[in-house]
Amino acid sequence: MAGKVKTAKKRKKFTLINLLQWLTLAALLIFMQVEVKSGRISKVFLAAPTDIIEKGYKMTVDGTLLPHLWATVKEVLAGFGLSAAVGIGLGFIWVLFPKLEEYMNVFCSAIMAVPKTAILPLLILWFGIGFKSKIVLIFLFGVFTILYNTLTGAKQTRIEYLKVARVFEANRFQTVFKVMVPAALPSIFNGLKLSAATALTGVIFAEMQSAREGLGYLLTEAQNNLNTPRVFFVIILVTVISVLFVKLISTLEYSVCHKWTRV
Amino acid sequence: MPTIRIQNVSKSYINSEGEPTNALSDINLTINEGEFVSIVGPSGCGKSTLLEIVAGLMPRTSGDVYLDDKLVEGTSKDIGVVFQDASLYPWRTIKRNIGLGMDIAKIPRKEQEEKIARYIDLMNLNGFENKFPAQLSGGMRQRAGIARTLVMNPKVVLMDEPFSAVDHLTRCSLQDELLRIHKEEKKTLLFVTHDINEAVYLSDRVILLTPRPGTIQKEYKIKRDYEMKRDDVTLIELAGKIMADITRGRDYNENVEYMI
Ligand SMILES: Nc1ncnc2c1ncn2[C@@H]1O[C@H](COP(=O)(O)OP(=O)(O)OP(=O)(O)O)[C@@H](O)[C@H]1O
Ligand SMILES: [Mg+2]
Repeated sequence: MAGKVKTAKKRKKFTLINLLQWLTLAALLIFMQVEVKSGRISKVFLAAPTDIIEKGYKMTVDGTLLPHLWATVKEVLAGFGLSAAVGIGLGFIWVLFPKLEEYMNVFCSAIMAVPKTAILPLLILWFGIGFKSKIVLIFLFGVFTILYNTLTGAKQTRIEYLKVARVFEANRFQTVFKVMVPAALPSIFNGLKLSAATALTGVIFAEMQSAREGLGYLLTEAQNNLNTPRVFFVIILVTVISVLFVKLISTLEYSVCHKWTRV
Repeated sequence: MPTIRIQNVSKSYINSEGEPTNALSDINLTINEGEFVSIVGPSGCGKSTLLEIVAGLMPRTSGDVYLDDKLVEGTSKDIGVVFQDASLYPWRTIKRNIGLGMDIAKIPRKEQEEKIARYIDLMNLNGFENKFPAQLSGGMRQRAGIARTLVMNPKVVLMDEPFSAVDHLTRCSLQDELLRIHKEEKKTLLFVTHDINEAVYLSDRVILLTPRPGTIQKEYKIKRDYEMKRDDVTLIELAGKIMADITRGRDYNENVEYMI
């Protein structure tokens, strides 16, 4: 997938539509700048781009940003890593032992159905407002998507591939690890990409509700102080992190799969 | 010296509503060692079903299949199968695809090298060892699929329409390579095809199945005591006869052996 996108981008020419898109963006920024600076729109509602840059620069160099950024990144990486490991691992354990799936599936479906944000109060009660409760929340946000993508991917292994394995008398483990795991990779990566974006959403939400650090905390704090440029800066930062995170996984997918998925 | 003995084999599929579909009915067939037998018949008559039963990939409803007087229960090292679209694993290189059976049998990679090299050579895949299936033409993929089966040195090779997905010229050259290998390696071959010309060109014996439920409508023996060309008049005549028999259908079920 990633490979296709890359080559497609390379071939693209700068068209009239692209020009219009850039002009629209520039117009929007100029509008923000002029309206806020002239006072026609209150500073509380909107921020001038120059103010956003200035505030962002300031908090980066004076050291306020970094601990918060690091806290969020740490939570996302740990929580996401945990959900990936458990999701993929459990997926293949279920494939190896279908009875276990039969037994556990109903519980997993039930937990999956709960809107995760609704459990946050409980998680805070159990794990406090720090690192742990965030990790558990991100884990719950991501693990089911990854688990069911792994499972579907493995179960959709082409029947011919499985017949080949049977003709060569592969045992259960060989069938799973030599055939179903590689066959499921595209689907697994899909699950990872989907839950990468939601992991960040989850952690920002949790930090906004109750935390002493992190980008979500920074966001709430800035909002309380009516520091709108800072709110804008953090939103942009979170978006960039989210995009980079998904991009990272796409790159990983590309390096693993592109050789055999594309000519 | 019989290799495969198919005795009174019947198969009916049961769908989710519990209704049966009779795919095969009372098939009796003996295939001798080193023989090249083709199975032809209209679409849906149970050719693939029969092949998969012989391969031990599918349970039969009744009857028995013996390989060298041993009952076939499940797959066996002595029976290799080549599937229609080769079914190479796209994530393995050609070399690793050919080595798949040996990987599964836990043969060390070092010991595999020589054998793989031999079949790469035999199947004209030199230079493509480290390419992935997606980078090969359909004909090459099919040759790699055949190599993957032959490298395990099975006594019997089953093929289910192995050349139906390639163009006419590629198909002709693959047929010639298969004939050459059949001669060199002395394998017993059971070959399913839609293509009657292909069947008569390749086989020592052609088995025609009736429409579903498949039964043996007729057998045609081909004396191959001299090198036959594709346009050999006896082959063309026989192909015509088989065509006529197919259109006549099961009513004309006389089951005399046709000697030419
Ligand atoms: N898994 C299955 N469940 C139910 N019915 C099946 C199944 N597989 C095959 N059949 C039916 O059994 C009959 C024989 O199928 P089979 O695939 O053996 O035919 P075939 O001769 O190989 O056909 P073709 O030439 O089109 O490949 C068909 O009518 C098919 O619909
Ligand atoms: Mg078939």
